[in-house]
Amino acid sequence: MSGEFQQAALTLAGAQHFPAWLTDARAQGAAVWQGLAWPTRKTEAWRYTSLLPLENAQWQPAQARQLTDLSELVELDAYRLVFVNGHFAAHLSTECPAALVRFSEADSAQQALIREHLNQVADQQQHLFAALNSSWLQEGVLLHLGANQRLDKPVYLVQVSDQADAQAMNARVLVVLESGAEAELLEHFYSTEADDKGWMNATTECVVGANASLRHYRINLESEQSLHTGGVHVRLAQDARFNGFTLANGSRLKRLDYHIKHLGSGSDLQLNGIYLPRNQQRVDYHTQVEHCVPHCTTTEVFRGVIADSARAVFNGRIHIHPDAQKTLAEMSNRNLLTSDQAQVNTKPELEIYADDVRCAHGATVSQLNDEALFYLTSRGISEAEARVMLSFGFVNELVEGVALEPLQQWLRPRIAQMFGQNDQLTRHIIHD
Amino acid sequence: MSEQVEQLIKKEYAAGFHTDIESETLPPGLNEDVVRFISAKKNEPEWMLEWRLKAYRAWLTMKEPDWAHVHYPEIDFQAVSYYSAPKSLADRPKSLDEVDPDLIETYNKLGIPLHEQEMLAGVAVDAVFDSVSVVTTFRGKLEEAGVIFCPISEAVHKYPELVKKYIGTVVPQRDNYYAALNSAVFSDGSFVYIPKGVRCPMELSTYFRINQMNTGQFERTLIIADEGSHVSYLEGCTAPQRDENQLHAAVVELIALDNAEIKYSTVQNWYPGDENGKGGIYNFVTKRGICHTRAKISWTQVETGSAVTWKYPSCILKGDHSIGEFYSVALTNNCQQADTGTKMIHLGKHTKSTIISKGISAGRSQNAYRGLVRMGPSAAGARNYTQCDSLLIGDRCGAHTFPYIESAHPSAIVEHEATTSKVSDDQMFLCQQRGLDAEKAVSMIVNGFCREVFKQLPMEFAVEAGKLLEVSLEGSVG
Amino acid sequence: MLKINELCASVEDKAIIRQLSLDVGPGEIHAIMGPNGAGKSTLGNVLAGRPGYEPTAGSVTFKGLDLLDMDPEIRAREGLFLAFQYPVEIPGVSNMELLKAAVDARRSHAGLSELSAIDFMKMAREACKAVDLDQSFLKRGVNEGFSGGEKKRNEIMQMMLMEPSLCILDETDSGLDIDALQVVARGVNAMRAADRSFIVVTHYQRLLDYIVPDYVHVLANGRIVKSGDKSLALELEAKGYSWLEDEVA
Repeated sequence: MSGEFQQAALTLAGAQHFPAWLTDARAQGAAVWQGLAWPTRKTEAWRYTSLLPLENAQWQPAQARQLTDLSELVELDAYRLVFVNGHFAAHLSTECPAALVRFSEADSAQQALIREHLNQVADQQQHLFAALNSSWLQEGVLLHLGANQRLDKPVYLVQVSDQADAQAMNARVLVVLESGAEAELLEHFYSTEADDKGWMNATTECVVGANASLRHYRINLESEQSLHTGGVHVRLAQDARFNGFTLANGSRLKRLDYHIKHLGSGSDLQLNGIYLPRNQQRVDYHTQVEHCVPHCTTTEVFRGVIADSARAVFNGRIHIHPDAQKTLAEMSNRNLLTSDQAQVNTKPELEIYADDVRCAHGATVSQLNDEALFYLTSRGISEAEARVMLSFGFVNELVEGVALEPLQQWLRPRIAQMFGQNDQLTRHIIHD
Repeated sequence: MSEQVEQLIKKEYAAGFHTDIESETLPPGLNEDVVRFISAKKNEPEWMLEWRLKAYRAWLTMKEPDWAHVHYPEIDFQAVSYYSAPKSLADRPKSLDEVDPDLIETYNKLGIPLHEQEMLAGVAVDAVFDSVSVVTTFRGKLEEAGVIFCPISEAVHKYPELVKKYIGTVVPQRDNYYAALNSAVFSDGSFVYIPKGVRCPMELSTYFRINQMNTGQFERTLIIADEGSHVSYLEGCTAPQRDENQLHAAVVELIALDNAEIKYSTVQNWYPGDENGKGGIYNFVTKRGICHTRAKISWTQVETGSAVTWKYPSCILKGDHSIGEFYSVALTNNCQQADTGTKMIHLGKHTKSTIISKGISAGRSQNAYRGLVRMGPSAAGARNYTQCDSLLIGDRCGAHTFPYIESAHPSAIVEHEATTSKVSDDQMFLCQQRGLDAEKAVSMIVNGFCREVFKQLPMEFAVEAGKLLEVSLEGSVG
Repeated sequence: MLKINELCASVEDKAIIRQLSLDVGPGEIHAIMGPNGAGKSTLGNVLAGRPGYEPTAGSVTFKGLDLLDMDPEIRAREGLFLAFQYPVEIPGVSNMELLKAAVDARRSHAGLSELSAIDFMKMAREACKAVDLDQSFLKRGVNEGFSGGEKKRNEIMQMMLMEPSLCILDETDSGLDIDALQVVARGVNAMRAADRSFIVVTHYQRLLDYIVPDYVHVLANGRIVKSGDKSLALELEAKGYSWLEDEVA
């Protein structure tokens, strides 16, 4: 680790305001990251993504700030918790049920639950930024549902940032669903200012109990100057379901890790993702799915449209452990390059140690189909609009798969606008 | 750790070692004097020695790669002997009766004729049988066509300009750890030159280079197909090959100039060690070809041997409209480990590559496909298609796929598909209901699985390769 | 030819065949009919020795030999042929290759020499012709990409080449249109011989218009509940199975 960065990391870890009962978790995280080698481009997991933007800045803890404009929020009837620059904004948040609580407000039973599960889902040895996250823990959110419980509304967690300087933020979420419980959770990250230079390090851990079901959405649409590291870590018990959707644009550094473990037979994972970097942006998705027991299923679909001089990385790994017979796992990654300078590096891996399995993966890299383009233009559509329509069409299947209807409606125009800023080009998509 | 290495390690390192030009084998260890000794033994010109020394010095600064999905005890490169002259007639077995009966049994299963068995097992026989005359006719025909096919040690003397011009241009000395080692100490290998516009009149096979047996350890091959020429080269044979040297690090360089075509087929069946993983060859190979405009290089490999295989026959598609192909069957059984695949580096416009990889894992083996498809910034209109399938037999083996796809050109199209499955119970039962026993059924299904690759092999080779899989899979079904 | 004596068999620990007895003499054709779930397909699979279909009691002798004691491939070599209800696809393995290996195995088991490639090819071509399959099917992967009807005809073609002494047709007629059905029936009728017997398992009476059975048995709840001649099939066609089930109950 570069000396400067290490100093900054230590300073951040030295924050004074944190609940005393988190001391152990913080110490544990600190011990792990201080023992880890700092990744370089020779580290396989960081082969295509440089951490220089992180190393070259003087990181300071982020300061709270007033914010009144909520126009960018998803219009959603939900239990909402809003954090601005990492600090809780009570006036922007709604009343929440007891099942949804900030760490700083947790009662003793909830504290015990957090201590029991925190750091247990994310493998910190493997995920440096999860370890850093633990060592900086000051606040977090717990969503805990008891057996067969279900909330009447989705949960909506918002992380807004707008920082002119190199300020670091930490976000932590812990979801614990006991057997038969069901929840829907949307995590939304965005910048209010185009020149937001903040760094958000966000770790989410989900414990999905037997026959429980979690729908999880993570929307990362921050400014081009911002940095984001983090991930979603999930443990699935018997017959548990995790249905995940993730969308990201790119930025100077954006690295998202999904790591899901099938630990009980009959569990099911559906993970869909879209990445849409443009200009000089970078985006890097690393997903790992581990099948540890028999009879589990995984379907993973990621699509990317890479424009301008942007670069995308997709590294998807499915690991079938020796006892995981009767596994069905499929992974597909398709990429569209829409400019001469755009680049993508994709690596769909299978690591299989059981024989009675059916696994398949596919990856493609291509450009817009000339014939399709011609077909549309021959019907009188301008080429520019046709390009936008086809780009949108490339990811549309996944957008339509978003079960949370208001989110899907909110996403459509925003995705369309990433392909064509001009309303004339996107009107047919938005009014679909 | 294998006994051979262990024994070598037990030997004391000869400090202050002096080169003795008369000696026939070198004690273990590697230093500049060893490199000089090897060069001197072959009477090499100064430039060749310098080239080797440069490689040696590079090697000293390099690290053994550790990214492959294979595990083996650390190799002590100072415990390896880097030169031994071919065995004299007196040291070799007098007849097949003196050869390991297991080996003979395998030869018989593969249907290898007796006199070829003798040759393969290194029996000291008077070399007057048929194959010698075959070799003579063979050489005559090649000379007529102007094709050069000789040991590389001979080419260094006879065709120094060609060797100097091309050696190390596709696999530079410091390309990787093993390539550097090979460059410093390579023993011998083939040299092929096909003149402009010539279609080589026959398949070139290492098999015919019988005088060059025993050069396996650090083999170096250089094939140059001049403009518009065509050659098909066969390496190895299906017969199991034993070698006292556990460490093998070969380098193969192919140069296909404009409009030329090189087809390179390999059957690799080095001793894989016993069923407990004891012994067996470590095979670390660097194979790469460069294609100029409209040239084509096609690699076909059938890998069934070695304890550890580390091998990625690759194509640099430099010229516009050039084509690279890779067809591979890699079978691992017992405790074998293979990490093999290819790299297709697309630099030229409208370049095309096809990768068909079939991995079969049985026993407790680990079989990994590792491939890179890179579409460079100038590879307009380039295309790649990759199909990579794994078949599992038994529940203690592993099959892994690590494809790297790097695309920096929007008009390049890359398609990658991979599947993993097992020999299904239904397929087995259908075969059994038609009267086939389990082993025959598996071998038939496996051969079917590999068909796409086998049909790339020359006819005779393809039949042998099928038999080879059958023999290699013995004992893999209950 | 085949004597089944109070056979019981189960699949995944569930008893499917319960004390079933049946005697099939040389040259006879027995039709086995019955409602879905009666155990019809299970019977064929148990006789052929499919893994997972476990005989739990009773005995079966085939040409005087203990059938249940034999591995599936030995049963096949002894002359028991099962035409599958759902023939599996084996990509990459050609029909020709499978057949040659199968015929060779059967012949060498009988102490006969292997057929030459030319003789075999001739036989295979004739068999194809007999079931209206184009010869290109010989070169294609076993059942790979075949339509339902082609798969069934392919089974009959294999049956012809293997010259079995006992043929079990497991719902070979299901899913066939009338033309294909006639082709299948023609193949079977051409093979009728004094030393060859057939067990035709079917759900529909229609097949029996083309393959005339000597005996018709009704299977329900894993045992034969009624036996008769061809007229029984017509009765079933008219009245369905429920009256029989009631009768048994």
